[in-house]
Amino acid sequence: MLLIILAIISILGTFIPQGRSLEEYVARYGRLSGLFIRLELTGLYHSVWYLGLLGLFALNIIICTLTRLTPKLRRALKPHLTADPKSLSALKTNARFKRSAPLADVQSELTKLLAAAHYKVKAAAQPSRISILARKRIGGIFGSDVVHVGLLIILAGGIVSGVGSIRDSLSLNVGDVKPVPKAEFEVRLDKFTTEYYPDRSVKAWKSDLTVLEQKKPVLTRTISVNHPLTYKGYSFYQTSYGWNWDSPAVEIWAKSKNDPTFLKKMKLKVGERALLGDKAQTTIAVQKFLPDFVLGEANQPENRTLQPNNPAALIEGFRGTEKVFSGWIFSNFPDFDQIHAANDKDKEKETDLAFELKSFEAGQYSVLEAAKDPGAILIWIGCALILLGLGLAFYWPTWEIKAVLEESQGKTEWIAGGVATKSREAFGAEFERITAALRRSK
Amino acid sequence: MNESTLFLVTFVLYIISAFFYLAFLFSKQPGQAKTGSALAIAGLVVQAIALIARTVESGHAPFTNMYESLSFLSWASVLAFVIIDKKFRISRIGPYIMLIVIGLVALASSPLMPKEITPLVPALQSYWLWLHVSVTLLGEAFFAVAFITSIMYLTAKEPEKKEKMDSVSYRCVAVGFPLFTLGGLVFGMVWAYKAWGTYWSWDPKEVWSLITWVVFALYLHTRIVMGWKGKRSAIIAILGFLAALFTYFGVNYLLTGLHSYA
Repeated sequence: MLLIILAIISILGTFIPQGRSLEEYVARYGRLSGLFIRLELTGLYHSVWYLGLLGLFALNIIICTLTRLTPKLRRALKPHLTADPKSLSALKTNARFKRSAPLADVQSELTKLLAAAHYKVKAAAQPSRISILARKRIGGIFGSDVVHVGLLIILAGGIVSGVGSIRDSLSLNVGDVKPVPKAEFEVRLDKFTTEYYPDRSVKAWKSDLTVLEQKKPVLTRTISVNHPLTYKGYSFYQTSYGWNWDSPAVEIWAKSKNDPTFLKKMKLKVGERALLGDKAQTTIAVQKFLPDFVLGEANQPENRTLQPNNPAALIEGFRGTEKVFSGWIFSNFPDFDQIHAANDKDKEKETDLAFELKSFEAGQYSVLEAAKDPGAILIWIGCALILLGLGLAFYWPTWEIKAVLEESQGKTEWIAGGVATKSREAFGAEFERITAALRRSK
Repeated sequence: MNESTLFLVTFVLYIISAFFYLAFLFSKQPGQAKTGSALAIAGLVVQAIALIARTVESGHAPFTNMYESLSFLSWASVLAFVIIDKKFRISRIGPYIMLIVIGLVALASSPLMPKEITPLVPALQSYWLWLHVSVTLLGEAFFAVAFITSIMYLTAKEPEKKEKMDSVSYRCVAVGFPLFTLGGLVFGMVWAYKAWGTYWSWDPKEVWSLITWVVFALYLHTRIVMGWKGKRSAIIAILGFLAALFTYFGVNYLLTGLHSYA
């Protein structure tokens, strides 16, 4: 029942985006947002009542496991050897027959047969009767308990992680040294590179990271996504990157519409000027660079994001000290000509020059996540136990044969019954085989 | 032959296989079921070659977009069916499972699914991609077979047939559940820890996997502890598969989260 409630509530959490800002919730849900926040639905999985439910769930597992464990342990460690013949015959798998042979012979044959089928045999002698308990893979009955213990350890690991984990994001420019939160050491970024596929999509981000103890380097590693560096319980993950747009450099190609042979390539920093070398002695300056050009309110150019989605440069042309033309050029739209005369009345000064923004260079910084999670080890132990438990429960079936051998007038009667936790058909077949062999043997 | 031709051959083989199984359903001639089974196995082999061809061509595991993962899921479903059929002799479910498989293959080859090979984004460059996705989808394939047998349990009339379907459903869950736990949850957590530094992020796909896991855990509990069988078990298994299906499709198209690759 508890499982069902947990499942239904968890479903709710997947439909309400978690951990967003208040404004976003108000925009999305209007009036309902207040209710959602008060009920902690926006941070559902960390809310008091969800954790409370998980606690109840843990308690439930503990109680169930303990109540079942005691009889199981008794069954495994101190089984009742004496069995009542009537109850044996009541089992689904059972057999009963008489053979004219002394009890001791039948017993030794039976023991051999059972041992050959890998059963562990225990026997208890009473006057003129022997009770036998044979079984294999007794561990199988504990499969579910092992799974439950694994689950509890995972829940405990979750608590340890929640309370004791340290997690912080570090933004590092190349050369930066930053202290690791709550640790005695520092890290330095030596190099950051982005590798691209031929189609310009990102192949890898790589950060060369050096660990410094008391300002002395002790370890250098290249980390990338999926390949963190671990040092003294801390792991450093490549999570993101960003562009440093303080002083980008742009590569510009200038062409002349009237003179097809004219081509001038230049690399300029923002604010820098250079002589173009044309007949008119034009000087070119890059006035501004926007990595993600967009026209904002009042048609003012501005950055939409800090990613180079639509790189654009504002070019200005001068003759002497007089500004003669200016305009934006775009690396994604080389044919989109925005160059116009600085003064609308001065049409004769309209330039025949065209410009292309071929490339740009800017520093990138690396964003790393430094994390220490003391709960993780418990999670892995819990996972291993769950898998072990599932293996035991499904693929390690406990088979148990109980038999009573009774001697009277030179004949031995064999009354037996068997139980199996799993694969009952296979067990039934084996039981039949052993019974038939015992009946046949001389 | 290139990958798309092989894929087409697979499609045709599965369709003919379904046709023979369907004929068997009406005629009850075991020979037709045998032909259906042989064709399904032939399709399985051809599709395996297609998947390998794609892996060689792209240089990465064939689970990086919906087309690839659907193709793999259909392959895994046929594999699960072939195994279950070998073990329990249930040709009867053949036509239904093959219809689901044909649906998956058709969906994969529909124009909605981009088929071109794209380079692997940094987050997916890991051998855990192989382990996590293949084992999870294999587990889900067994859930798919359990889904079919559970529906057949509900629709069947003869008690003998009903009992068989119930028992096969249970066996499928008994195989699918550990696989799903291993691939979906455990491998997923290990990979998440390696890539993101946190083993659990309450991402919708994670939560839905957990929900799927809880539903099948419920199936096993009610069956083993409370002795539920038959109708109630069948309904839980159907719900479990629907949850798995939503984890697979719904989360990608309806909800946003970290698993926004495929």
